[in-house]
Amino acid sequence: MKRAWLFILLLVAVSPVFGVFLADMLGYHEPLDVAAEKLGLRDLTERTNWTPFLDYRVPGLPEWLGYIASGIIGVAIVAALGYLVARGGSE
Amino acid sequence: MHIPDGFLNPEMCAITAAIVAPYAAYAFYKTRAIPKEKRAIIPVLASAIFAAQMLNWPIVGGTSLHFVGGALSGMLLGPWGGFTTMFLVLLVQCLVFHDGGITTLGANLLNMAVIDVLVGYAVYRLAPEKYKGVGAFLGAWAGITLAGVAAGVELGLSSYMPYGLSVTLPVMGFWHALLGIIEGLITMGVYSYLKSRAPYMLAGAAGGGVA
Repeated sequence: MKRAWLFILLLVAVSPVFGVFLADMLGYHEPLDVAAEKLGLRDLTERTNWTPFLDYRVPGLPEWLGYIASGIIGVAIVAALGYLVARGGSE
Repeated sequence: MHIPDGFLNPEMCAITAAIVAPYAAYAFYKTRAIPKEKRAIIPVLASAIFAAQMLNWPIVGGTSLHFVGGALSGMLLGPWGGFTTMFLVLLVQCLVFHDGGITTLGANLLNMAVIDVLVGYAVYRLAPEKYKGVGAFLGAWAGITLAGVAAGVELGLSSYMPYGLSVTLPVMGFWHALLGIIEGLITMGVYSYLKSRAPYMLAGAAGGGVA
């Protein structure tokens, strides 16, 4: 289990390489966005947004650091909820 | 594969939410019956999938995709525990990072926590004992492909264009069948690693009932 958590931290640490730097360089596009664009569907995320962490950024931090911070925040919340699920229920 | 707010019409949002809500209630109920030592995997697996989904891989033509992990969750925890794991990931992505819309949460859960998990689990279970590794690969490949096709159907039917499906199905089907190969290889790798190091983690393994 300890090794699994170290692996997760490693993933978060290298995530800006894929999620930020390469993405900026190559201009990533998911197939979903390609299909939606062809149909003229509109992404309303920015117009309806409620969270300061949109696009895995943290206000005030450079993009790569915000991406890592977002990873840590996200993993912490997911893990906390996961522990609640793991603790309840039958023995 | 996360559908943002605005891509689906209200009818499609309502239909997908109506399908997923009772499924989720039943899945949570069944997750509680999974033995406690096996349920302990959920926080680790959900965290690992969340982190892995932040890594976007470049592929040809400026297209990208990330690991989804629904099929892997199904193989490790069965369909109900697999749903619960993916639910945690998708809920946090949606609420905290607005990755995947709130109106489209039902559709995203349907694609990645129901279809991907169920297909991956079923193919893996049907594979003969000797070929479970291949089963893990094929399950993850089929899971992603069908989840992509499902997302294509939802998008296509939401479009005001009469030819919606004829645009979305080839794009989503083709790309996800291609990307599913990577998903399959990673899933097979994780499966092989766990089989040699921690076989008790695999669904259906001795002592690890899927309930």
